[in-house]
This record gives sequence, structure tokens and C-alpha cells, in this order.
Amino acid sequence: MTALNTAPRTVRSAPARAITPPAKPRRPWRTVITVAITLLVVLVFWSVKVDWARTANLPADIARYLWLMFSNPAWDRVPEALWQTWRSVEMAWVGCLLGIVISFPLSFLAARGIGPAPVRLALRGLFSLIRAVPEIVIAIVILSVTGLTPLTGALALAVNGIGTLGKWGYEAIEGVHPGPIEAVKAAGGSRWQTVRWGIWPQAAPEFVSFWLYRFEINVRASAVLGLIGVGGIGDMLTSYTQYREWPTVGALLIVVIIVTIAIDLTSGAIRRRITEGSKARDLA
Amino acid sequence: MTRISPETPAGAATAASAPWSIRLRDAVVRYPNGVVGLKKISLDIEAGEMVSIVGLSGSGKSSLIRTINGLVPLSSGTLEVGGHRMDLARGRELRRLRGQIGMIFQGFNLAGRTTVLNNVLVGRLAHTSVPRTLVGAYRQRDRQLAFEALDRVGMLERVYHRAAHLSGGQQQRVAIARALAQEPGIVLADEPVASLDPPTAHAVMGDLRRINRELGITVLVNLHLLDLARGYGTRLIGLRAGEIVYDGPAATATDADFERIYGRPIGDQDLLGGQSAAPTGTPA
Ligand SMILES: Nc1ncnc2c1ncn2[C@@H]1O[C@H](COP(=O)(O)OP(=O)(O)OP(=O)(O)O)[C@@H](O)[C@H]1O
Ligand SMILES: [Mg+2]
Repeated sequence: MTALNTAPRTVRSAPARAITPPAKPRRPWRTVITVAITLLVVLVFWSVKVDWARTANLPADIARYLWLMFSNPAWDRVPEALWQTWRSVEMAWVGCLLGIVISFPLSFLAARGIGPAPVRLALRGLFSLIRAVPEIVIAIVILSVTGLTPLTGALALAVNGIGTLGKWGYEAIEGVHPGPIEAVKAAGGSRWQTVRWGIWPQAAPEFVSFWLYRFEINVRASAVLGLIGVGGIGDMLTSYTQYREWPTVGALLIVVIIVTIAIDLTSGAIRRRITEGSKARDLA
Repeated sequence: MTRISPETPAGAATAASAPWSIRLRDAVVRYPNGVVGLKKISLDIEAGEMVSIVGLSGSGKSSLIRTINGLVPLSSGTLEVGGHRMDLARGRELRRLRGQIGMIFQGFNLAGRTTVLNNVLVGRLAHTSVPRTLVGAYRQRDRQLAFEALDRVGMLERVYHRAAHLSGGQQQRVAIARALAQEPGIVLADEPVASLDPPTAHAVMGDLRRINRELGITVLVNLHLLDLARGYGTRLIGLRAGEIVYDGPAATATDADFERIYGRPIGDQDLLGGQSAAPTGTPA
């Protein structure tokens, strides 16, 4: 490495010292999978009957609806839209809190070196199972028990949150420096003392950052969940779309977009402060 | 909060327990991968000794140190610390014994994102219940011990600083305070100055000598620099390939003795240099 960097001429003029790089690892499965996916994509395009002629009208249609919605938005609907957005944010917030409270202990039990192996594997399986199911499907399942209420939305977000927060949590725990953990052990600390003073001081900023990020996700998801009728801005949006009241739909979309971006920006700024702050501290 | 006057009698609270002896008989350490770290070592260390342990990389210095506080289990043989059978201790009893043995690491092993005080209080975990640990509600006496330990290494003003904000030498002092807060019978140090510059290395070695002389604590230090080993230890143990190949007074160990331990001629890379390592101050 250094020889190559500092004296390239020597290397070029001395071909006698031939080096034999290690054989390139063969990955037959990779090739098989790549070919299979390519074939699949080609087949799908070929077999699906798309009315290509209709797509020609698409730009014109889009322009027409945009004009209907945004040429003269129904500003008098904004207060109601704000109220419904607030309900969505509440749904997101409650779902986030529930998700945190449940996932927090579980992510420790799922981390290598803390929970017993069977518990760990079961929890990891649960987390990936949950993550595989979209919020909206979870909501539809919960719906059959709780009915069409904002609580349904919050619960769906909480369940999904357990999947993501649980995974991020145990990965953060497993990623901490082992040194402080060893120090606590060497001083006679028990398992939970090690977790508290060896792991937690290192992982805390990441956890807080994950919680905020999950809240951002929930705000976006809660608007979508409204589509199935659990209340909030999404609910309002579906109704007015069905009534084809385009100026109202336009006003609602403007409110949703502004509120979502505002929350994203604020939360993102806080998260950056937390992670950058902790990095700066590590370098100091 | 608690001002400690410089007149506080040395070691009034930090040397409450008596120094411990160490007794190894036919101790073998075989790692799970089959590597033998220690080959049938028998060793007696009297309470209150200051022992330098030297040897090449891979000779088993860390294995010996880590065996003594049970971080590495014995494959066969026996280990007594302070008259207690360390090799038989499990669970609560093992943690209680570890609580009496302070450990200092090359990489300091502090939790950088929390305060110096919280790091030093790790030294009190063996005497703190889990509920108190989780909320950080240490008893007043434990806090007092932490303050006194910090005062002893000259780090009391930094008590509420973040550990990561300190320099390497200051972090190692905090780590020494963490060990002292345990009121230990033995302090083990695994290459404590290997990542410090020469003046700081001498200062930290001086701290270790002081806790040995003033508090009477048994101190074992792994070193790879022979002037430090000779200058600060009262007894020198040389390891090679997991066996003791030298055991005698440190001050009179000759370069030839070191060459026999290392199995090669010694050179400048085996010396730290800098401030004189000759013993200073009054013997205890
Ligand atoms: N956890 C472990 N698992 C397997 N082998 C180990 C482990 N720790 C140490 N060893 C091996 O045991 C031998 C002694 O290692 P040890 O760390 O005690 O040496 P050392 O004298 O401290 O070396 P260094 O100066 O490099 O720290 C080495 O061959 C090492 O590879
Ligand atoms: Mg070592």
C-alpha cells in the first residue's frame, strides 16, 4: 500500500517481483439471483397488459386536476383542515409513545449478550415479522376489534413502531464500544448494572434520535391511515375526493404538505444536533 | 457540594479494606479456540506488593491480569485472592470479589458521553442495589468515596465534566479513581500507559505507585517498557509464551535479564525515556 503510494516508479520498473492476489471469491448464487430477477422484470413487463395508449393522456389529466385543485383552493376549509391534521399528529404521537414504551425493554432483551438466546431469537423474528406488514394492513386487522377510531390508527402505528424501533434499538446496543461494558463487569457489576452504566450512556443519543425519526414516519403514515377512515386529515381528504370538491382537496393537500415538512424539518434539526453533538463529544 | 480539604488524611476512606494477596497454583488458561494463554503458572504475591509484569506481545500478560479478577476463567489449577477461592466463585460471590479488585485498562474504558462522576461511581456498583443503580440514586457515602478518589488523582474539579472532554492522561486518572472508589484490595492495570505520551505516562505510573505506597493496595501492572517496569515496580515478573521466565526484584533486573525474557536484544523501542523513573518520595 505505502510502497505503491510513495514509489510508483519502482513498482512499475520492477515487474520481476510478481505478486499473486488472492483468488477472487466466487459467488454463484449472486449470478443466479441477478439473472432470475432480470428475467422476472422482463417477463412482467411483457405479460402485463398496459393500455399504453391511455398513458398518452396522462400529462393532460394531471394538469387538469392540478388546475382544479390549486387554481382557487378553498381557504375557508383551512381551520377544519388544521384541526384534522392536529388529530393525525395526535395519532402519530400516541402511536410513537406506545411504540417506545413497548420496544424499549424488548430491544435490550433482543441484543446479543443481554437476553437469553431463545428470547433473543423470538424477539428478532417478531420485529422482522412486524416490519414486513404495512401499517395500513395492521390497521385493518385492528379495526375489526376497535372500530373506526383514531385509537385504531395509533395502535397500528405503535405495532409497526415496535418492529422498527426494536430492530434499531438492538442494533445500536450491539454497536456500542465494549470497553465501558468490560469496566463495569470488572468492577463487579451485574447484568442490569452493565446495561445501565456500560451500554446506556453510549446508546442513549441514538435511541432519542430513533424516537424522533419514528415520530416523523408516524406523522406521514397517520395521514395515509386516515384513508381507511380512522379519522384525521387522511379521512377528510378521502371524503372530499369522493365528493369531487377539488378546491377543498387542494387546500387540504397544501395544509398536509406544509405541516409534514415543518415537523420533518424541526425533528430533523433536533436529531442532527443530538448525533453531531455526541460525535463532537467523542472526538474531543 | 462536598469540599475536600487537602488535609484529609491520606486514604482515610479509600483504603478501608485491607490489601489482598494473590495465590495461583498450576493455573492453566486455555481459550475456547484452543490457544493456551497461561501454562501451569504458580505464583505468590504478598499483600501490598507492587509488581511489574513484562513480556512480548502474546506472552500472556493480559491473560494473567484478567484471570486474577475472573474475566478469564481458569481451565485448571486454583486461584486465591485475599484468601478467597476466586476460581470457584460464581454469580453474586464472583461479583462481590470483583468488587474488591480494581482494574485499569489501556483504553481507559470510560463511558465518554456521561460525567466523570458517573464513571467513577461504577466503582461502587458492587455495593449498590439494582433499583438504585437504574435511577442513579447512589448513597451519600458512595458519592463521598467517589469524590475522595477523584481528589486523590487530582481530578476533583472535573467531576461534572463529560469524560470524553478530557485528555488521555486525565481519562486514565479518572479510571484510576474508578478503581480506587471500589476501596480495592488489589489494583490490576493492563498496559495503563501504552497510549500516553512520556510525561503523562510517568504521571500515571506515579499515581499507581502512590496508591500502592500510601494506601498499601497490592498493585499489578502490565508493561512493555523496561525502564517503567524497573523504575516503578518493586518486583518484576517476566512472561514468555504463557510461562514465568523471570521473578525477582525489579530494581536490580539487568538488561541481560530483559533480553532473556524477550528472547532478543533490547533496544530503544523498549524504553520510554523522559522524566527519571527513579523512585521518589518517601517509602511507606
Ligand atoms: N479471548 C481470547 N480468545 C482466544 N485467544 C486469546 C484470547 N485472548 C488472548 N488470546 C491468546 O492468548 C495468548 C496470550 O494473549 P495475551 O493477550 O494474554 O498476551 P499479552 O501478553 O497481553 O499481549 P499484548 O502485549 O499484545 O497485549 C495470545 O496468543 C493470544 O492470541
Ligand atoms: Mg495484553
